[in-house]
Amino acid sequence: MSSATETGNLALALRQLVKHFNGVQALSGATLEVERGTVHGLIGQNGAGKSTLIKILAGLYQPDEGTIEIDGVTHERLTAHDVEKLGIHFIHQDRLLVPSFTVGEALFLGREPRLAGLPFLDRRAIRRQAEKILDKYFGLKLPANALISELTTAQKQIVQITRALLDKPSILVFDEPTAALVRREADILFDLIRRLRADGITIIYISHYLNEIEALCDRATILRNGKDVSTVDPRTTSAAKIASLMVARDIEEMFPKTAATIGKPALTTNALTKAGKFRNVSLNMREGEIVGLTGLLGSGAKDLVRVLFGLEAADSGEIVIEGENGRPRSPAAAVARRLALVPEDRRGDGVALGLSVAENTTLASLKRFTRFGFLQSNREHSEVDRLIEQLAIKTNGRFAPVRTLSGGNQQKVALAKWLSRQSSLYILDEPTVGVDIGSKVEIYNLIGKLAERGAAILVLSSDLPELVGITDRILVLYRGVVTREFISSETTPDAILAEATGALDLRSGEHRNVV
Amino acid sequence: MSSDIDTLPAYGSGGDTTKGIGRWLAGFALRGGSLLAFAAVLTFFSVSAPFFFTLGNIGNVLGQSAILGVLAIGLTIVIIGGGSNVVKGGIDLSLAANLGLSAAVYATLISAGYGDSVAIPGALATGVLIGIVNAIAVVVFGIVPLLATLAVMNVVAGLELVLTQNTVVSASTDFLSVLSSYGPFDIPVLAYVLVIFTVLAGAVVQFTPLGLRLYAVGEFPEAARAAGLPVRRIVAGSYIASGLCGGLAGILSVAYLSGSTTGAGEMLLPVVVTALLSVVFSRRLVPTIGGTLLSTLLVGFLTNGFQLLNISSTLVSGIQGVLILLVVAATSLQHGKGAV
Repeated sequence: MSSATETGNLALALRQLVKHFNGVQALSGATLEVERGTVHGLIGQNGAGKSTLIKILAGLYQPDEGTIEIDGVTHERLTAHDVEKLGIHFIHQDRLLVPSFTVGEALFLGREPRLAGLPFLDRRAIRRQAEKILDKYFGLKLPANALISELTTAQKQIVQITRALLDKPSILVFDEPTAALVRREADILFDLIRRLRADGITIIYISHYLNEIEALCDRATILRNGKDVSTVDPRTTSAAKIASLMVARDIEEMFPKTAATIGKPALTTNALTKAGKFRNVSLNMREGEIVGLTGLLGSGAKDLVRVLFGLEAADSGEIVIEGENGRPRSPAAAVARRLALVPEDRRGDGVALGLSVAENTTLASLKRFTRFGFLQSNREHSEVDRLIEQLAIKTNGRFAPVRTLSGGNQQKVALAKWLSRQSSLYILDEPTVGVDIGSKVEIYNLIGKLAERGAAILVLSSDLPELVGITDRILVLYRGVVTREFISSETTPDAILAEATGALDLRSGEHRNVV
Repeated sequence: MSSDIDTLPAYGSGGDTTKGIGRWLAGFALRGGSLLAFAAVLTFFSVSAPFFFTLGNIGNVLGQSAILGVLAIGLTIVIIGGGSNVVKGGIDLSLAANLGLSAAVYATLISAGYGDSVAIPGALATGVLIGIVNAIAVVVFGIVPLLATLAVMNVVAGLELVLTQNTVVSASTDFLSVLSSYGPFDIPVLAYVLVIFTVLAGAVVQFTPLGLRLYAVGEFPEAARAAGLPVRRIVAGSYIASGLCGGLAGILSVAYLSGSTTGAGEMLLPVVVTALLSVVFSRRLVPTIGGTLLSTLLVGFLTNGFQLLNISSTLVSGIQGVLILLVVAATSLQHGKGAV
């Protein structure tokens, strides 16, 4: 590994990186070695450590352990400024362009051409050079006077890439660049990336679309649980093999199987459609059933959950909850129909960090503990204590602020909030993200118990072994459509991942650009 | 996880289009409506007060608006560099008090026997110092500008009282006489000062790289940082520039009123109205120096017209308040989000 010739050929080597955040291990010895002049894919499921790794490379985080080697030089500490000086540029998912600027101004911000001998901007040069550069790299006839806010997402991305190219970078890092692009735009991007590679630029390409990795990358490193599990040639390695490398398989005993009785229909949707997000989603959940829902970023799975809970409006289709037809128009309407949402962003939406465990637990059900407009704290507190015990919430008493709890225990409080309300239909959005293994098992147990009691539970998760382990059925959304339904006991995480990433696209040769 | 709600544009969402049209309409109504309102104000006053639309009166309005205009340009610079978010964005509430203290320093120095060569730098330094205090409060301590400059405003107003014992300090020098006289075309010298100052400030803000960066820092600090710009230094600079404007306005007000007077704080509302109105006079709906000059004139013409028609001047500040509400409401709608 450390021979001089090999190192000399590497544009970049991150070795044995370790990074902790508040006791949670994000990286546990991850290595990424990128050869000069290649397109190198970086893949892994959510939480595998991709973004932590890239933020270390960007100089935004400092690793706890490990070495960073760029062009054969080892760097102890990297700041964002150093990284830029070394010629490493990042094309971020969010486009960092000022909306009210013209294309030319956005391109040249920070290195504006001036009128000879004067302190003033040379607006003509800005316009002409911008048009020339865009035409040269992209064959794009974009009026340089167009405002950024008038551009499409793809055009903005092109402006962003062009900005990076002005600095003559040696390494370009693309972070999920196609998340907001359509197929045609993505194809233009791929052509461009190949051309950049031909110009000798080294490219790191982060994506969870396996078909893109296969079509574009010379090598690909697969991350899992904060470690690199393998570096492969994606053109000779099957998508199924890559998918199986991405998914851990040794934790199946974690999932307690419970036998719930399937009862009446609890939630039915008919041809539910939200333009641009998902189309014709029909789903049928019965009491006592645990149904899984998964899909990549932008697949519409997240939007479906938001629509079910009344956070966003659907354009057409029916939602029937416990026999009552009608799409919930607001979260309040959804809650009134005994729907409970445990959101992914628990710090933002799920719990109020500054409030105590008790306050959070009874927040959604204060009416139960209120008489003549006043809270009856003794009844409230005995209920809270009951839930703390039932969910095994590790807290310093019921008055401890939720802020002081671990991620897993915060999530339990978010669940307790709805248990206290005696909801019958639960929608759990990534219920175990950022939760330690022990709490995960407890949350799985709780979900099982809820089902036994006759609740219907919809789990949106990108943790596929988890989905296979705890659900009865799994629906996969791909670019807005439910492409397949799996019976959990008869499938594997790999099969679901292949479906969700569109790995099947390549084989069938068709582009499933739906909606 | 904002990216989770990232849209897939080709999926051609109807919702976005209608939102886009709504935003475009709001923008159009703002731009078109404001110019129309300006024209309507001018027409109404020229019809009802014959003297209104004469070169002499327009010159007078410009002269009377010079102090307001210089302060509003200072505030405009702060709003550009701090972003136009009404709650968290850039604002300098201390400008009117700054004018009061700078004028008091200037007048006191003159009446203590120092010449203009000491008094002018003294007044400007006072303004800059206040700007530095604001900059430190906002950039170093991270206090919301609305609160930071409110506090500084009170401190400055207090200092002015201490300095002047709440009395009028009269001052007269040759320089002041020139400032308060009439120049070519029988137009007040103060009017020329306003125009020249606007041209200078406009040249820097609208035509130099520094100005472009100021916009970037205010509108999208992350983008500015990604472009390697020293965001904090630029924001601090905007407050210092605004402080300098306060000092300059102080000198102008001594010229206009032949001394320092109390009650500078009453300028605050007109200054805020003027700077906020600036937005509606630009194509991209961003604050500009030229837009600020136009809105200074609009506010000036309103006040002047009311005087010519013998309508109570107290009504003017009511109208200014309504204008603030309208402009802020319209720009908030245009950005697609309310303050709450």
